[in-house]
Amino acid sequence: MSWAQAILLARGLSRGWGGICSTALTGAPFSQVTPQAPRGLHCSTAAHQPDSPLVPRPPEPQRGLVKALAPHEELFRQAPDGVRDKASFVQAVQNFTQYNVHKRGHVDFIYLALRKMREYGVERDLAIYNLLLDIFPKEVFRPRNIFHSIFLHYPRQQECGIAVLEQMENHGVMPNKETEFLLTQIFGRKSYPMLKFVRMKLWFTRFKNINPFPVPRDLPQDPVDLARLALRHMEPDLSARVTVYQMPLSKDSTDATDPTEPHIIGIQSPDQQAALAHHDPAHPIFVEGPFSLWLRDKCVYYHILRADLLPPEEREVEEIPEEWNLYYPMQLDLAYGRSSWDDYEFNIDEVEEGPVFAICMAGAHDQATLAKWIQGLQETNPTLARIPVVFRLSASSGELLASSSGLEEPPLTPPEGREEEENNQQRQQQSQS
Amino acid sequence: MSGCGLFLRSAAAARLGRALVAFTASRRPLRTSPPSQAFAKELFLGKIEKKEVFPFPEVSQDELNEINQFVGPVEKFFTEEVDSQKIDREGKIPNETLEKLKSLGLFGMQVPEEYGGLGLSNTMYARLGEIISLDCSIAVTLAAHQAIGLKGIILAGSEEQKARYLPKLASGEHVAAFCLTEPASGSDAASIRTRATLSEDKKHYVLNGSKVWITNGGLASVFTVFAKTEVVDSNGSVKDKVTAFIVERDFGGITSGKPEDKLGIRGSNTCEVHFENTRVPVENVLGEVGGGFKVAMNILNSGRFSMGSAVAGMLKKLIEMTAEYACTRKQFNRNLSEFGLIQEKFALMAQKAYVMESMAYLTAGMLDQPGFPDCSIEAAMVKVFSSEAAWQCVSEALQVLGGSGYMRDYPYERILRDSRILLIFEGTNEILRMYIALTGLQHAGRILTARVKQLKQGNVTTIMETVSQRVRDSLGRTVDLGLTGKLGAVHPSMEDSAHKLEQNVHDFSRTVETLLLRFGKTIVEEQLVLKRVANILINLYGMTAVLSRASRSIRVGLQNHDHEVLLANIFCTEAYYQNLFALSQLDKYSPENLDELIKKVSQQVLEKRAYVCAHPLDRTS
Repeated sequence: MSWAQAILLARGLSRGWGGICSTALTGAPFSQVTPQAPRGLHCSTAAHQPDSPLVPRPPEPQRGLVKALAPHEELFRQAPDGVRDKASFVQAVQNFTQYNVHKRGHVDFIYLALRKMREYGVERDLAIYNLLLDIFPKEVFRPRNIFHSIFLHYPRQQECGIAVLEQMENHGVMPNKETEFLLTQIFGRKSYPMLKFVRMKLWFTRFKNINPFPVPRDLPQDPVDLARLALRHMEPDLSARVTVYQMPLSKDSTDATDPTEPHIIGIQSPDQQAALAHHDPAHPIFVEGPFSLWLRDKCVYYHILRADLLPPEEREVEEIPEEWNLYYPMQLDLAYGRSSWDDYEFNIDEVEEGPVFAICMAGAHDQATLAKWIQGLQETNPTLARIPVVFRLSASSGELLASSSGLEEPPLTPPEGREEEENNQQRQQQSQS
Repeated sequence: MSGCGLFLRSAAAARLGRALVAFTASRRPLRTSPPSQAFAKELFLGKIEKKEVFPFPEVSQDELNEINQFVGPVEKFFTEEVDSQKIDREGKIPNETLEKLKSLGLFGMQVPEEYGGLGLSNTMYARLGEIISLDCSIAVTLAAHQAIGLKGIILAGSEEQKARYLPKLASGEHVAAFCLTEPASGSDAASIRTRATLSEDKKHYVLNGSKVWITNGGLASVFTVFAKTEVVDSNGSVKDKVTAFIVERDFGGITSGKPEDKLGIRGSNTCEVHFENTRVPVENVLGEVGGGFKVAMNILNSGRFSMGSAVAGMLKKLIEMTAEYACTRKQFNRNLSEFGLIQEKFALMAQKAYVMESMAYLTAGMLDQPGFPDCSIEAAMVKVFSSEAAWQCVSEALQVLGGSGYMRDYPYERILRDSRILLIFEGTNEILRMYIALTGLQHAGRILTARVKQLKQGNVTTIMETVSQRVRDSLGRTVDLGLTGKLGAVHPSMEDSAHKLEQNVHDFSRTVETLLLRFGKTIVEEQLVLKRVANILINLYGMTAVLSRASRSIRVGLQNHDHEVLLANIFCTEAYYQNLFALSQLDKYSPENLDELIKKVSQQVLEKRAYVCAHPLDRTS
């Protein structure tokens, strides 16, 4: 018996590794492990398009409306007032289970539901995922003997189960005991969805707090608040002060497309203020930007106020005043310093950069707006009035999209072909966050 | 026996002579003569300057009688007439109490007699401090007046300034205050903002600025003020330098803020003092123009030793009160005093009081020797040790009383609040530790320079010498610095303790040498190392002080000297092991040394400016 178990284990492991490797290599979702897996033997009886891939395909709104609807699409269009929330989603799922006692076509329905989740804003709701898993008939797909477990038993269903878990992973939803219970009931312990579940359990906990600079899960919608968050995110000094130099003209113009009165928010720490006060007015300082910063799925742009590094001969050497400390000597009058065997400093070649005096985020990236920022800075930094400021604004080549769309919600239903990109992108962000 | 007595008497006579010299010497103006004594500094080099600390300093019989006559009425006054609880509640010392203090002459204890003061030596001043400290508010008020407030005039004032100000200050007609601290400047003299500018007729300085936390700020009519002035350097450049001024309230433009609400010493008056276009005549510059930094340092360094005796006086009283309670309070049909854990606390209090008293009077005796000895390290050690012991002992005493100690009906909570300031003022203990360690290391470093250089250059003979020295040390060579033996300074009943001291001193000097080799002048940045160096030195000084004192007590046959021997032996053994631990921590790659980890933790906490750990109930799933 033990050899059988060993084989089983080895087999499972190699499959698992294969899955991981192929994911890593191709960047394709996990559920594509065995695209040519024998299928049809235990296929659900539901009618399905023979060419339909196993990955959840995004709905194809343009074609979908004119051409054939996906099966069960109508269940999601029943909400009379068009409200799309958790309750109506649950209602749709319940309708499916009620009218479909034999769960005919449940795999297709689950794929459909997975695609719809984002529209309903429930993509981060664990209860909904459990609800979807609950659609699977219980006990049917459990392997009954060793050969079942060796060969992919009910592959289409297992892959559907993995797809559910995959989407959970992409949205950072941690499965719970109920998920585990459902999976064991549906697929049994020795199944691929269960393997995926165990891995999620293991790695999610370890990766959840791996980012030392966490970004909140729900970003503020208001560009001013978002800018505040982004500036705080970039500035390491906790005593830095965020100043709103200009509020957007009216609440309606929060899309920041209105060029007349874009928001201007800046941050400056006391140290930066002091450095600016000591800046020699003979040397100009520069406003540079826009530079991009990603916060989860949003890209924001910022500008910096910086100066060039002083040439070494012009730098002031900080000297210790003779009469400084009333209580103890600040330096010893000894001829010798630290011995080499107590010097733990690594020899690092550091590229020194010029000082950054302030950072700002504005709704528009033109010189007029940024000049207002400099004006605002002059109130707290009087020396700034005497220093020539040079604007070195790159044309918006650094931006991925038009400046305005950076602050907009990404389209809810991205066009076909972008889905995978987006998935990858999300995965990257999650591994960062 | 009679020979011995004769010897002792003649020794006492010699000391009497010395004390008299000191008496007259203290009237001479301050000079910057080279320091003649350096007991603590020599410890860094592994030497015990026996003649500085053995035998324990004594005062003459006449002086003792004189001071005892004086102590009597003061003690009576403090125990009978001063209501500390009332002073604490009302936050003010009643006027009649102040008047009585003035009539007792307590406002001019160290003012020379020709200026109407009592002209007490440092030892006598310490003795009186024991009694005055029975009420901390009064002690602080008096200390701010004469230990720092008018000290500048005694130390650096000209004859005219002394004649003009000291008599009235000594009588208490005028109260003095010391104005150094500013909102932006604690121990950082460079950030003093108060400014004195010379008027056009060059007869006045115009003073502008604010000083904070000035004790006696509301009562005082004479202020020692430190302000920045423009001074032309020898090479012609203009520089801002600190200058000390004597400022009378009558000069105008002086306002004091409302008294601060403090945790302890609530009876003392602490407030802000503002100077607005105060015109100070040029004659009132204290010391030289631009020499204020040295004046301030001298004043601060000179006043610290007296805290030892003051705290000891307070502790002695505290032990009495607490023992009274412990011997009467019954639990489980037994007095509290029969429980081991309570007894331990009394032993601790007695030991700490004994050590700090010994250190304080040893230092006072050193200071009273002729030739203006530089005992600032010793004084700083006394201050650090006594303030920390005070906090610990008061806390333990309160613990003996349990819940009652926490109530306002008992004085313990007040004493606890009052004693907290001791760790903070006159230089915080952290800063003084840096001072103790760095001053000593500077001294040792200068002397060891040649050796260190040779070692660094790889001079074979020096290296061989050092290596063989270390090998001999590691083979367990007993160190003999001559404290014990036939003509030893330490009594044979404390021979073990004396050996422990010698061993510690020897190891300490080796460690100092290693540290200097390792860090050189960058040791300034190694504060955790410096703290240990200071702690070891404080222990060494304490050990020396108790050994010296207990030996004297045995030899002159003082009452209960066997008790002193017990305390001395306890302290020396404890300190010995503490020192051994600290010394082992100072070794390179020492497993006991957790500095790197500690630094990491604090860096992370300070970076976040918060407690970093997740809550124990947090989950990731």
